[in-house]
Amino acid sequence: MSAKNTWKLHRWSTILLLPLIVYLFIKIIHLSTLPYHLILSELSNLWGVGFILIFTVLGLVHMNTGVHEILDDYVHSDVVKRILNVIISIFFLLVLIFVCLSLLLIFIG
Amino acid sequence: MVQFNLPDNSKLTDGDYYKSEKSNGNTKKFKIYRWSPDDEKNPRMDTYEVDLDDCGPMVLDAVMKIKSEIDTSLTFRRSCREGICGSCAMNIDGTNTLACTKAISDVKGDIKIYPLPHMPVIKDLVTNLKTLYKQLKSIKPWLMNKKQNANDTENIQSRNDREKLDGLYECILCACCSTSCPSYWWNSDKYLGPAVLLQSYRWLQDSRDEERKERLKELDDTFKVYRCHTIMNCTQACPKGLNPAKAIAGIKQMIAQQ
Repeated sequence: MSAKNTWKLHRWSTILLLPLIVYLFIKIIHLSTLPYHLILSELSNLWGVGFILIFTVLGLVHMNTGVHEILDDYVHSDVVKRILNVIISIFFLLVLIFVCLSLLLIFIG
Repeated sequence: MVQFNLPDNSKLTDGDYYKSEKSNGNTKKFKIYRWSPDDEKNPRMDTYEVDLDDCGPMVLDAVMKIKSEIDTSLTFRRSCREGICGSCAMNIDGTNTLACTKAISDVKGDIKIYPLPHMPVIKDLVTNLKTLYKQLKSIKPWLMNKKQNANDTENIQSRNDREKLDGLYECILCACCSTSCPSYWWNSDKYLGPAVLLQSYRWLQDSRDEERKERLKELDDTFKVYRCHTIMNCTQACPKGLNPAKAIAGIKQMIAQQ
């Protein structure tokens, strides 16, 4: 991806995440007042699953571009940078798989 | 990786103390960074007492007095002594600025003077600015206009277009901004830095220039522009009151809209 598009992606993901974070906080406060079975039903409806998926994907994209910015700033060795890139990509992939599996478990009850 | 610790041969030591002959009370201490490539010694901080009753009002006046009357080995750049040439850029009282426009009275207590930060030191307060000049050359800081060259006619610019260059053309390339930028410290070999990017924006904004697309294409690089993280040290440091951070934001916007 070109430098311009990476920069745009980072900015757009920031803008999109802002309202989602506000919504997430409100949702957490709301969920904290509910009993456990209602929390599960709130999370397992289509909107709940959709929101968590969108938030996770956007968050991971934003974190990924952010971490690469930090690597570009501080890590000058190409070999070290490549190794760290692979480690970070694996980490984000694992997070995504973990979230998807958790959602699937909640969704199927 | 970025080096966070100073190498052993760069650690500062206490230097010589030059006491003022007059002890009328109106003296000020100038602590100045000294290093010479001629010996193997570490850099040191020499202290000079300067009689302010017999000295001009600016830091450069005091530094010149020290060189001519106290220690002739002190090395620094200076030329115009009125904030136009940018030669006397140095770190005074923790801020990159021009010694000729910084008043002694603006600094409370002892005045500490260092060379511009994170630049290779040639001697004392003189730093090597070769990389910066090379980077400046890379952005082609001149008007590129094929039509004008072909017809050899006057190239008229409207008042509005000319006004777009205000706040850009005044840059004197003193390097105070670039050397105050942490991103430039970390990646000075690849990141162009605020001084050069301000110059680049000056040519991007020039209505007479015909190579805007090419210039922007050259700048669309992970390191050349996008190492700027809007830290704003450049804007705070600029002794001419310019805003390189805004210029860099302008470049990013132009690249994004292309």
